Formats: sequence, C-alpha cells, structure tokens
Amino acid sequence: MFLAFALVTLGGAFALLIQRNAVQAGLCMMLSFFGMAGLFLLLANPVAAALQIIVYSGAITVLVLFVVMLLQSHREEPAEHPRYIQKAISAILVIVLALGAVKLVYSSETLANMQAVSPVPDPITLQKLGEQLFSEHLVALEAMGLLLLAAMVAAVILIKKEA
Amino acid sequence: MSDSFTFLGMDLIPTVWMLVKILAVFAGVMSLAAVLTWAERKGAALIQDRIGPNRAKIIGNIRLFGIFHLMGDGLKLIFKEDLVPRHVTQSLFWIAPLLAFVPAMMGFAIIPFGQSFEWSGYTLHMSVIDPGNGMGMLYPMAIASLAVYGILTASWASNNKWSMLSGMRGTANMISYEISFSLAVIAVFLQVGAYDPHEIIAAQSGIWNVVRQPLGFLLFFICAFAETNRLPFDFAEGESEIVAGFLTEFSGMKLGLLWLSEYVHMVTVSALMVTLYFGGWQVPFVADPGPLLSFIAFAAKLLFFCWLFIWVRWTLPRFRYDQLMSIGWKVLLPVGFANLLFYAWLIHQGIA
Repeated sequence: MFLAFALVTLGGAFALLIQRNAVQAGLCMMLSFFGMAGLFLLLANPVAAALQIIVYSGAITVLVLFVVMLLQSHREEPAEHPRYIQKAISAILVIVLALGAVKLVYSSETLANMQAVSPVPDPITLQKLGEQLFSEHLVALEAMGLLLLAAMVAAVILIKKEA
Repeated sequence: MSDSFTFLGMDLIPTVWMLVKILAVFAGVMSLAAVLTWAERKGAALIQDRIGPNRAKIIGNIRLFGIFHLMGDGLKLIFKEDLVPRHVTQSLFWIAPLLAFVPAMMGFAIIPFGQSFEWSGYTLHMSVIDPGNGMGMLYPMAIASLAVYGILTASWASNNKWSMLSGMRGTANMISYEISFSLAVIAVFLQVGAYDPHEIIAAQSGIWNVVRQPLGFLLFFICAFAETNRLPFDFAEGESEIVAGFLTEFSGMKLGLLWLSEYVHMVTVSALMVTLYFGGWQVPFVADPGPLLSFIAFAAKLLFFCWLFIWVRWTLPRFRYDQLMSIGWKVLLPVGFANLLFYAWLIHQGIA
C-alpha cells in the first residue's frame, strides 16, 4: 500500500514537472496530493488525509487551475534563453534538501522507538487534533491566523487601488 | 463468533456483508439517479402543466407514466455515435466524464442508510464505511470538493468559448459556496460533539438537528444547490446563456456520465442533508426502529429531498452572476460565521 501511494505521489509530481500543458499539469498536481492523502491514511491520520484533499486538492489546485483558465494560457511560455546557473542551483538545492530530509527522518526519535510502539496506533480524530492545536500549538495557531488576516487585508487593499 | 463462516482463515461474514453493501449502494444510487432523470422530466411537466414523457411502451401497451423513457434514454446514449471533435484536448476529454462521475459515486459511501444490527454475533453496519474510521463527515466534504474537477476538465478539454465560460462560472460558483457549506456542517459538529455520521444520527434521537439549527440548515440547503450546480445556481450548464456550457462538445455515453453524475450528486447531497439535519434513519417516536423500518425511513427522507431539488429547479429562475457572487460572499459567508459563533457561544454558556 505504501508503495502504491508513494508511486502515485511521485508519479504525479514528476508528471507535473514534465507536463507542458498547464491544466494537465494541475491535474497531475491533484494526483500527487491524492497520493499524499493516502500516505496520511497509512500513518493512521485520517483527519490529515481529509484535510489534505479538502484544502490542497479541492481548493488550492482548483484556484490555480481557475487562474490558468482565466488567463487562457494553454501552454507554458518558452524561456527566452537557457538559464544554466538557475538550473544548477535548483539541482543542488534539491539534492541538499532531499539529503537533509532523509537525515532528519533517520535521526528522529520516533523512528528509533518505532519497534516499541504498537504497529497500529489509534487514528487521530478531530477532537485530538483540536486539543493539540489549542494547547501545545496555540501560539503558532494564533500567529498563523494573524498572518492570514494580514494577507487578506493586503489583498483587499490591492484590489481597492485599481478600482 | 461461529466457526462455520470462515474461509482460508478469513472471517467471511464481514467480507460478504461489505460486498453486499457496496453492490447495494452502487446499484441503489445508480438506479435512483436514473429514476431521477425521469422524475425531473415528469416533475417539470407537472409543474408546467404539461403531460411530459408518456410515449415509451413495453410489452404491448404498458406505459406506466413514461417510466420506460429512462431505459430508452440509456440505450440511446450508449448506442449513439461518440463524436470527439478535432479541437479538443484528447486525453482530458476522455477522463473528464470519469472525473465528474467517480467523486459523485464515492461520496455516498459514508452515509448510514439504516440502523446497525446484530446478526449471529456480528455487528453489521448499514454504511459502506464502518463507523470509527476517524474520517467521518470530513470524507463526503473532501469528495465534494473534488467534484469541481469534472466541470473544470470537461470545459477545458472542450476548447470552446462557451465551455470555457461555463467552466469558469461553475468553478467560481462551487468554490464560493463550499466555504459556507463547510461552516454550516461545522456548526453541526460543534453541537453534536462528534463528526462520525453514526454519532451524529444517534445524537438526533430526540430532536432533529433541523430544529436545533434552522439557520444552519437553510445555509446548507442553499449551498447544496450551488454545490450540485442545480438551478437557481446552474452556472455551469446555463443552457439559455452559454449553449450547454461544459456539456456542449460531449455526446454519447460521455454526455450520459456527465449528466448522471449531476443526479448522483443530488442523491448524495440529499443523503447528507438527511444525515446531518433530519435524523438519518431515525423514525419519529420510535426509539429502536430496527434495520428494515430505519431503511424505509431513510429512503423516504432521501426521496423527499431529491424531489425538493427537482421542485426548486422548475420553480426558481437562475441568478445573475453578480447576484451569485454577492449572495455567496456577502450574505451566506457572514451568516455562516455568525451561526457558528452563536452555537459556540451557546455551548460555552452551557445552554446547548
């Protein structure tokens, strides 16, 4: 199961990169998010899986596709000239980030304690998630709310100026 | 637990029951959606003081109010030439009907269509997905948020001005109303203190949620029309304005699937309405109705709401696009927030 979902995720992400048609790329992104939701399910976190689909597949990707349709851009514009430096930097960044992520996962305590924990933990429920959010992560939650509010106000102001 | 129902060490009863449930729900929802296409035409005729479809005959002269028209429709759609215009994006054109149809069919899986019962030591649940899965009512909301891809892909793949317009209008419509839709559902979660459909139904054994949250129900009801793209919110199809919108280029069974998915959506959203606000399979004044009676109660409520969708469609005209946006963002969204905060306050005060 893990392999299937991981393949869907990676395949979607890879297709997203090589796809030239903007809308098809968006659909590949949706596929990739779907695989991610499956991975969350395997981690006994159905809430995160549902939210992944609602927020990422259902809202963000749709908005991206909506803008693509609004601009009627069927194809990605070809680059004016090849950008070798950017390509090299992005490749290096990808490698560094991937290695860092692998190192983090392997050095985490959870992985070391994996054998001790029962193989199937209790699934996370909305209630548990809420308790966690409003006790341990309260500051982060409030900060996030403030940030989103600021972003919203900024968006409104940007629109107002043009009108 | 009895030993006689095992096969290769596997417990057969839950597996068989799961298969039966899947088949029953699939067949039930499909045939209900098919019957609804007939009910739509007949209901339209009734409301507009016409006779409606009554020509199709079977075995001599049996007409039965034209119900055989739906078989005729199905046969026609399957055998019709499947035209694929040259200017479409081939791959997307082929998967668009599936993208519309599959999420529509998936949503119903969580809905309990009857009371759970005990049978030879097993507790058998009358919903495809058993309770306690941790996803609960988030699942149909997640699936509903995928429904927009059908319209989006179909309209984009068609590569046609009207289809594109329809896709944009339909997408904007569904995104705008999804927020109010979720806000209404969250108020129910708050009130019940759970989000599993079985628990939500169990909490409504005394009073239905529609009595406790009339405003929330109204919100949900309005947004349900927008989510299913039914009149007065059928901005995706809008046949008097943009030909047939995203359906314009489709023919044959592709068109059939796109159409059918609209009706399947109606069934699913009606089932959600029944589950969230009208007590699901609960029968008024009967404490423990049992599987059969509870199923009949659920089916009756479901059919009523399906009919309500048709009724409203042929009664109200379509909104204008700016009206759609202002209702969605300036009325329903603030009302949704007020509704949620009000119930949060009530719960905080210990009243509700």
